[in-house]
Amino acid sequence: MTDERRTRDPATEHLSDHGLLALTARGDRDAFARLYDMYSAVAYSLAVRIVRDRDLAADVVQDAFVNVWNQAAKFDPSRGQPSSWILTMTHHKAVDMVRREERRRTEPLESGAEMVDGAPPIEDTAWLGLARDQVRQAMQKLPDPHREVIELAYFAGFSQSELAERLSLPIGTVKSRTFAAMTTLRQLLSESGLNPEHEWNTSTS
Amino acid sequence: MEHVDQLIPAHALRALDPDDERIVTAHLSYCERCRTQLREFEGVAAALAYASPSMAAPTELRGRVLAAIAPVAAPQTAPAAAVPARRRAPRFGWWPRPSLVAVPALGAAVVALALWNVSLHDSLSNRSVTGVTPVGGVANAVSYRNGGVTLFAKLPTAAAGHVYEAWVIHGANSTPLAAGTFRGGILSFTLTRDASRGDTISITLEPGSGGPAPRGPTVASGQLT
Repeated sequence: MTDERRTRDPATEHLSDHGLLALTARGDRDAFARLYDMYSAVAYSLAVRIVRDRDLAADVVQDAFVNVWNQAAKFDPSRGQPSSWILTMTHHKAVDMVRREERRRTEPLESGAEMVDGAPPIEDTAWLGLARDQVRQAMQKLPDPHREVIELAYFAGFSQSELAERLSLPIGTVKSRTFAAMTTLRQLLSESGLNPEHEWNTSTS
Repeated sequence: MEHVDQLIPAHALRALDPDDERIVTAHLSYCERCRTQLREFEGVAAALAYASPSMAAPTELRGRVLAAIAPVAAPQTAPAAAVPARRRAPRFGWWPRPSLVAVPALGAAVVALALWNVSLHDSLSNRSVTGVTPVGGVANAVSYRNGGVTLFAKLPTAAAGHVYEAWVIHGANSTPLAAGTFRGGILSFTLTRDASRGDTISITLEPGSGGPAPRGPTVASGQLT
């Protein structure tokens, strides 16, 4: 990483993601850069996983963050966390690209690790590692057929009718497995303390 | 046909076929309840991103992105609204807030709680971080020059009717001073009381909503270095 990547503006360091996005909406490039520094690695990792090509993944991340910049003023804070918004945007762009490029893969994600050989791992920082562990543990608790549809939909960009065809399943089964799997994941992540979209008030007052 | 709300999770995964996508999008335009559902499931979908093998974004990409947001494309300037500045009340979203410094691996017994892609060396040299202290096997305490301390912890969610409470003990034998309560999970928590080198930080599990003096068992403690 270069020094540039590490530049930290004291004016933005204490800000919440919502605060950074509010400043970004007003055209504050430093605030935007900070959001980029915080979420570009996970966004890029996700994009590489989906599009299976580092150059295309970089394009996806660039598109997503340019969108963050352009759409920041329209972000509704009650809609959820900025990080979810950024990663959702990244995911959508990656899936759209993989569908355009027909680069999708049929294998589920265990083979994904090979993709990173030779790539500099980002420092395995604790938050990232913990989040990864929690999500992976939650995924492991899903029944295999449920995990399969989630992996193929989210990481390979298959639509539900494509999944039905690939897996030789009735479309209704794909739909019910997707619904059940996501509902279970929501519950598991919530139980593990990773409570989607809810904030805790930890003050003593 | 299934209820529209059963398609919300697939919508969050961007897995709907075009016909279903249209139905759901139309429905979301007027159904607040399903929009709320969608927000939750988008949070779950975004969490899946963290399961990907970690890679650093290419260094040059940062420059490309910053160059791509030309000044002319800047969104309109709004009146200066107060931007929330949070030092004492960090957000505890479902996923950990990336913070500002990194903590090095502190040994297998210590939950490696640290921050995003910034090295400790970088933090120590550029910021006001003065130290990183393991607190039991469940947390790391990052101390700042101004006396602030932020805990990065991974704890089971406290049982109903209980909270975790942090304490600052100045010196060796003084009384523990309450420094904030929290429910557990993976979190960053800025103590409501300053502490400095030599002080001990402890975490107890307290009945009710905690109190001014510890009553419950100590979960972890560590002396700030």
